[in-house]
Amino acid sequence: MPQLNPAPWFAIMVFSWLVFLAVLPPKVLAHYFPNDPTPQSVKKSKSETWTWPWL
Amino acid sequence: MILSLFDQFMSPTLLGVPLIGLALTLPWVLFFQPGARWLNNRLMTLQAMFMNWFVKQIFQPMSLGGHKWAALLMSLMLFLITLNMLGLLPYTFTPTTQLSLNMAFAVPLWLATVIIGMRNQPTHALGHLLPEGTPTALIPVLIVIETISLFIRPLALGVRLTANLTAGHLLIQLIATAAFVLFPMMPSIAILTSILLFLLTLLEIAVAMIQAYVFVLLLSLYLQENV
Repeated sequence: MPQLNPAPWFAIMVFSWLVFLAVLPPKVLAHYFPNDPTPQSVKKSKSETWTWPWL
Repeated sequence: MILSLFDQFMSPTLLGVPLIGLALTLPWVLFFQPGARWLNNRLMTLQAMFMNWFVKQIFQPMSLGGHKWAALLMSLMLFLITLNMLGLLPYTFTPTTQLSLNMAFAVPLWLATVIIGMRNQPTHALGHLLPEGTPTALIPVLIVIETISLFIRPLALGVRLTANLTAGHLLIQLIATAAFVLFPMMPSIAILTSILLFLLTLLEIAVAMIQAYVFVLLLSLYLQENV
């Protein structure tokens, strides 16, 4: 089975983690959900803002 | 050179350049990184909806300490589901069929959950090795069994994803070859085989999404145990 060929294993591991850490989180964290202020006329206020925890 | 059915999973190279690098780098152009002033279009709305739904789905049952993993698990989900789905297009290479990649993600992330559990609440984490209500005589055996099942988790995580995707791609190749070969000889059978191929492709689309989801869900469960 070619997947068990050990030659590119380390390179694949390193490269995939590199891409996973460097490219994806900025794209994910760019989606944030800002609060838009509740208008005065509305009786109940809207839900609270949410963004990625610990950041 | 005799082609075997597994040759589609060989890490492809062109003139010495490993093409898995392209397969890992290019899919992310499909995801925009909105700046502060961007207005949403349909694609961005859909992606934001997906991220919102997914994070709620995974983290609602999770205690607060685990919420730090939100960005990581969301990135992992995007990573896996994009690679899986794009691999179903003709002539594409699916990096997640490589055991190396799946183990590269399964082992460190599982180990991280275990280490977090052992450092923060070692008694509680070790307590998972003995289910409640075990008869006294069975305790030693059960601890051994639970330890084995604990250490099998990363292996299972990696191999599950690899095997599912590899088997799917293999089946698609087999049935497509069959349909292609049968077409000049028995066209009606070839048409039936093509219908089977179509249904199989639909199944593989579902499998691609489900396997990515299961990978991340299981990791979140392991985190929930330990956080």
